[in-house]
Amino acid sequence: MTNETKLYKVIRYLFLIGACIFVIIPLVPLIFMAFKTGAEYSSTSVLEPPKNFLNTYNFKYAIRVGNLGKAFLNTAIILTISLIIQVTLTCMVAYVLHRFDFMFKKVVKIMFTLTMFIPVVATQNLIFRMMYAVGLVNTMWSVILLYSGVGIVGIYIMLNQLDGISKEIDEAAYIDGAGYFYTFARIIFPLMKPACTTMIIINGIGLYNDFYIPNLYLNRDVQTFTVALYKFFGSMATPFEIVAAAIIIGMIPIIIVFIFLQKYIYNGLAGSVKM
Amino acid sequence: MKSKGRSAFIFLFLIIPLIHLIIFSYVPIIGNFVLSFTNWKGFGDIVFIGWRNYQRMFTNTEYISMFKNCGWYFLVAIPQLVFALLLAVVINGKFRGLNIFKGILIIPYLLNGVIISTIFIIFFNNTGSLNTILEWLHLDYLKHQWLQDLKLVNPAIASISIWRYYGMNFIMFLGALQSIPTDIYEAATLDGCNKWQEIIYISIPAIKKVLFINILLSVSGSIQVFEIPYIMMNGSNGTGTPVIMIQQSMSTNRVGFAAALSVMVFIIVLIVVGIQKLFVKED
Repeated sequence: MTNETKLYKVIRYLFLIGACIFVIIPLVPLIFMAFKTGAEYSSTSVLEPPKNFLNTYNFKYAIRVGNLGKAFLNTAIILTISLIIQVTLTCMVAYVLHRFDFMFKKVVKIMFTLTMFIPVVATQNLIFRMMYAVGLVNTMWSVILLYSGVGIVGIYIMLNQLDGISKEIDEAAYIDGAGYFYTFARIIFPLMKPACTTMIIINGIGLYNDFYIPNLYLNRDVQTFTVALYKFFGSMATPFEIVAAAIIIGMIPIIIVFIFLQKYIYNGLAGSVKM
Repeated sequence: MKSKGRSAFIFLFLIIPLIHLIIFSYVPIIGNFVLSFTNWKGFGDIVFIGWRNYQRMFTNTEYISMFKNCGWYFLVAIPQLVFALLLAVVINGKFRGLNIFKGILIIPYLLNGVIISTIFIIFFNNTGSLNTILEWLHLDYLKHQWLQDLKLVNPAIASISIWRYYGMNFIMFLGALQSIPTDIYEAATLDGCNKWQEIIYISIPAIKKVLFINILLSVSGSIQVFEIPYIMMNGSNGTGTPVIMIQQSMSTNRVGFAAALSVMVFIIVLIVVGIQKLFVKED
């Protein structure tokens, strides 16, 4: 049963196709550019397709010169360590807040909620001084440390999940003689996998794309992928068609992630506002 | 419930995140408040200079224009939210090609600031896509040097936010729309409600709260704009923003002034979130 008239259906398709064109048009010249030779780039219009779509010279050059492989590896290391810490700590906090009553519980909750009010950019002035003082600037640990905090959105995602896990499971475990830690680690934590997946994807995209923090702390020897791309792009010596190729390379992992996990991205982001 | 080791367990599970929170959120904010009244350079003595940092911020035209630039980013949020809302409304349903549309429409949300900056440098360049398309359409008189013209550069790069961020708003709107129970729609159809009435009387009112959250996210986002003007223009041609200024003050060791700017950004965000809390409570 539907009340969609023919006119509505036509308008819907026209609007959606228009929206897709709006998304795609800025991307087209970039894709063309990555396959053009230097001479071709300077002599043709940006919207003219390349003569040879099999020209992989720019891609090879970008990988060789831009140190992109190393930067990718750095990003992968930072992401893996930070996400493991972040998700584990968030599960722990959410579990304690959901299952136990204790003194100062309200205070703890308020403390986590209030961080929403504090923009990251308004804290780095001093954090940078602290990091500098302990010698962490220009090491991955500065960024990993900053990324390892527990955010309120993550806590809410986990609390929602815990609502669906019966408390009787915990109590049965206690009766069987399991300790608090064992109950959490072996029984509850595995049941929280769906929420963990959502959090890993949403935060993973955010961290992979983050520029502000890595640019501040890692802009010399150790670089993340976004920073390497920025340095590459910022140096006037790099021809633009090479930059275009480097960018296409940077888009590949995120597009692969997306193809496999589209459903989680839509549901996860939507879920994170239903707090 | 057993209680042996209960307090220790709670303590152990909370202590690391709480310490992290204090060191990386609360200490810096309080520290900034104190340092904003000094001219500290990051080393040496700390000398208190009263309100001078704040006075400088509000009397120097260069700094004032940085706060004004944020206005452009707020303005473009209006078409951005309208576009995202329309998109969510029409895509909410089942029809052929739904997943392909969803796939294409989420692309900008997945790209980082450096990639987007490069894409739009190509777009706005003198020989870039925008001018080329205008030429094709025989609209040569509309061609401009978008990134050099001091009047056009801020609206031009601010409009990139529409492309970059509509996806996030769209997904949130869509999520809210899909949480409306389907029997409401069925009842409306039975009562002879047409699709347009359904959109205006059911869909839009039902997502008022999410709409409001998105408006406030846009406001607090526009005061924190950094990546696009920094990567594309390095803040030149009058495209500076408060956060770019914080960054530059930090790298020139003007810690006191950077602290004052940080406090300003913090206060503005605080006001915005405060408004949000006020309204959400009324619901």
